[in-house]
Amino acid sequence: MAVFLQSLISGILIGGVYALIGIGLTLIFGVMRVINFAHGDILMVGMYLTYIIFTMMGVDPFVSVLITFPLMFLFGGFLQKVFINRILNAVAQNQILLTIGLGLIMSNTVMLIFTSDYKILTTSYSSATLQVGGGVSVSTPLLISFLITAAITAALYWFLLKTDTGQAIRATAQDRDAAQLMGINVKRMSIIAFGLGAALAGTAGALISPTYYIFPQVGGVFTLKAFVITVLGGMGSVVGATLGGVLIGITESMSAVYISSGWKDVVVFVLFLLVLLFKPSGLMGKSRT
Amino acid sequence: MTKTILKAAFGLLVLASLLILPKYVESPYALHMMILLFLSVSQGQSWNILGGYAGQHSVGHAAYFGVGAYATMMLMHTKQIAPWYGVWAGIVIVVVVALAIGSICFRLRGPYFVLASIAVAEILRLSAINLTTLTNGAEGILATELPVFKIGETVITDFLTKVPFYYIGLFLALLTIGVTYWVQHSKLGYYFQAIREDQDAAHSLGIHISVYKNIGLVISAILTSLAGSFYGIYVGFVDPPTVLGLDVSVQIMLICIIGGMGTLWGPVLGSLILVPLSEALRSNMITEGLVKVGLVGADTRVGLFLKENLSHAHVLLYGVLVVLVILFMPDGLMGFVKKLATRRKQEAV
Amino acid sequence: MRKQLLALGATLALSPCLLAQKIGVINSMSGPEAPIGENITNGIKLAEEDLKKKGFNLQLVWEDDTGKPQISMSAMEKLATRENVAGVVGPYTSACSNAVAKLAEKYKVPLLIPAAAKEEITRQGLKHVFRMNAPADQYASSLIDAATALGRPKTIAFIYENTDFGTSTSKTAKDYVAKKGIQVVADVSYPKGSADYRSTLAQIKSKNPDLVFMVSYVADAILLMRQSKEVGLQPQAFLGAGAGFTTAEFAKERAISEAVISCTQWTDDVSWPGAKDFGTRYKAKFGKEPTYHAACAYASMMIMAETARNAGGDRAKTRDGLKAGKWNGVMGEVKFADYDGFTNQNNHQMLVQQILGGNYETVLPAPFATKKAVYPFPKWK
Repeated sequence: MAVFLQSLISGILIGGVYALIGIGLTLIFGVMRVINFAHGDILMVGMYLTYIIFTMMGVDPFVSVLITFPLMFLFGGFLQKVFINRILNAVAQNQILLTIGLGLIMSNTVMLIFTSDYKILTTSYSSATLQVGGGVSVSTPLLISFLITAAITAALYWFLLKTDTGQAIRATAQDRDAAQLMGINVKRMSIIAFGLGAALAGTAGALISPTYYIFPQVGGVFTLKAFVITVLGGMGSVVGATLGGVLIGITESMSAVYISSGWKDVVVFVLFLLVLLFKPSGLMGKSRT
Repeated sequence: MTKTILKAAFGLLVLASLLILPKYVESPYALHMMILLFLSVSQGQSWNILGGYAGQHSVGHAAYFGVGAYATMMLMHTKQIAPWYGVWAGIVIVVVVALAIGSICFRLRGPYFVLASIAVAEILRLSAINLTTLTNGAEGILATELPVFKIGETVITDFLTKVPFYYIGLFLALLTIGVTYWVQHSKLGYYFQAIREDQDAAHSLGIHISVYKNIGLVISAILTSLAGSFYGIYVGFVDPPTVLGLDVSVQIMLICIIGGMGTLWGPVLGSLILVPLSEALRSNMITEGLVKVGLVGADTRVGLFLKENLSHAHVLLYGVLVVLVILFMPDGLMGFVKKLATRRKQEAV
Repeated sequence: MRKQLLALGATLALSPCLLAQKIGVINSMSGPEAPIGENITNGIKLAEEDLKKKGFNLQLVWEDDTGKPQISMSAMEKLATRENVAGVVGPYTSACSNAVAKLAEKYKVPLLIPAAAKEEITRQGLKHVFRMNAPADQYASSLIDAATALGRPKTIAFIYENTDFGTSTSKTAKDYVAKKGIQVVADVSYPKGSADYRSTLAQIKSKNPDLVFMVSYVADAILLMRQSKEVGLQPQAFLGAGAGFTTAEFAKERAISEAVISCTQWTDDVSWPGAKDFGTRYKAKFGKEPTYHAACAYASMMIMAETARNAGGDRAKTRDGLKAGKWNGVMGEVKFADYDGFTNQNNHQMLVQQILGGNYETVLPAPFATKKAVYPFPKWK
């Protein structure tokens, strides 16, 4: 029982961070219909940013989100304006390769600057735990990052539902041409959406850096995970990505115990294929375009 | 008319010189680079049939490459079955795998198809890692000695030099080019292109979409698995990341996109650029070249900086190249060349 | 003029130092293996510096294999047939070393592999292939011998990365514990780079093993130990195999790394000649602690360069020189011997160390020990 509870709790907590990565990807896909293969690399840039801020200025990684978020937003906006914008109407594989190319540029530039060493960001609470009782424990940094994730997600919902810009983004995601006809500045919305997507990925990077490690090629793992989460929840659905993230967290954690940890990624991919085949719109998606 | 004759003459000349090359070039390094080039051409051309002509942009071709490589190597390693028989087993397995993958992935379109193709290839990679009794897991399969190839009692080759590999590679590259040519000029090719341009329209014309997609996939998968088998016996070692990794799939797709998809010579052009370029970048030949020509002094700060960083930065430059090609030559080099040619024609008129 | 030329000729003939020693280096300088490859690059750079100081006219030809076997073959073809090197040091990974070893034998180029772990590489009877480091099976036997020398463990749990190094190390370890009568209660592999091992570790905890044997080549080691503390996994000893457990970063994480037992090919506090000095200079030059890869690469290059010079750059003589020679340097005594099915394998003494007070202290074998081992593992705070 203790094993079951432990797996469930850590699955949910790690799933919170996955959700943040997935939301970023789903926003980008929703608005631009571009599959961003550089998503994990953007997360990696966020990690290094956190690392610099932590080592140079001594700012706590969780606090540094306040700096990382806007910086990564600008970075995402820049990527959209300079690169992605030019291929919005290109065929899918060209979009994929462009983002792969951008990812390669990011990871290898970082490698030239920081070398390919593994960086560990150690805070006073990196190894701290809370005992819940019944032999179950919770990692303090993971719990904090989960709470921050929840707060950011709530703020994002509010932004998308209640503000004019948020509604314009949703309208663009629903129908780009119609939105344009309605007088929405689609180009601007795309920049904001990509900026937000990058900011969320960067924030996720900041949040996991106290419990994870940092190196230039760290992105790949997270890119694939982000795809699975996004499809699971329904491409373009923010609620779906939130649920998808937590679901993947739990699936990984449970299958590591009850199937085998070597096979846990296979379980995730099989789940992914099943969703694609039997409910292609995802758990929360309405239509598939 | 004269143009066609000239073209044919040029083609024959290239072919003839490729056939006699090993007689005059003894450098194993040069032959090795040619073999890598042939491998790249056959990989790219195989992908081209499905991705370029039928418009199904698979990012999971490592699956077929890996299955071919593993099947041949496993049979050679555990059952001592010579690779020229093992290849056939590889083909049978890869057809089964391809049809299974096709039945899943072809229900999906566009980005969903791409993601599903990645997922399937990843499942195969992870399975190869975990099914240790079958595949020897992450340790990979090492097969050093190739059996001697005999017909009757005559020894054809003992595989001790690069020359037999050179001819196998050349044969493979020509085979894939030939198959592509055949696809392009047969009814199949027209169906493929109809599906690529507009699936729904193709369907309403009475084309069995899923049948033709699967035919395209099977042809492409068989050729890719042949390339995989060839890789396996040439390198003598396979393990999950080197033959089933995601970057293998991306590399295969890259050859076509840089060269130009859906054209007969695109993958050849792509390979002619990518293979030498990555070798030159990797081994610091560019800096050496600049120094030799005298553009950069060997001990000047620029020279030292390039020497120090260029070999580290070659993947970075690769990324920059990809971004530039996609932004400025979205149809690849072949597309770019064609565009230039039509412009010149128009100007001439 | 003529006299001068003659004199020059005489000096050239008399001092082989003036002839350039051309030596190839194959290493993973980019790609996924680059983080470790960099240590090898640094080790070789330091060796180059030292050799130049000694008056060697060394010319290194660097080749990046990007971690891919077919590319490492390109590198070897180039070095063997175009660059005409006297010998080659490298490559780093086992997959690349395997591919390159065959070519080295074919072209009769002496190849000195500094740090690849796969046993088979030097078990194929290749005459031109030498290896500096101890292969993967040594990790298993050294660590388990240490545990049985310190206590009386009855059960063991394995958790290892599902890579070549992880699976082959744990495979030999499982065979080894079977001989020692220790029962395996858990046998788990994990994909490198996962963020969450808690559920797996909680499951291992429920089996209550006496020993936990972990294999991690990279920073996963820190995650595994942090999360072991979180779930309260409390064996008699944590045994860590692989470079992940022997980094300075790992030792710095004192809350979780204290008293973890690991084994390594090299450490800078060992009494081998020049080891300490190598450590200090490495830190000064590259701003970080040297790993064993760096030391292996340094020693390999020193030996290769010296042998190549004595052989006048001749490949056959260099090979014979490597085979016959005996050295004593930062890696201790080095001799390429044939034993237990190995050919040209340096029977290297692995060191078992424990983190005590935030530092790696050698605890076994006795002649090299700097501190006494702490056993069993203290209760988590």
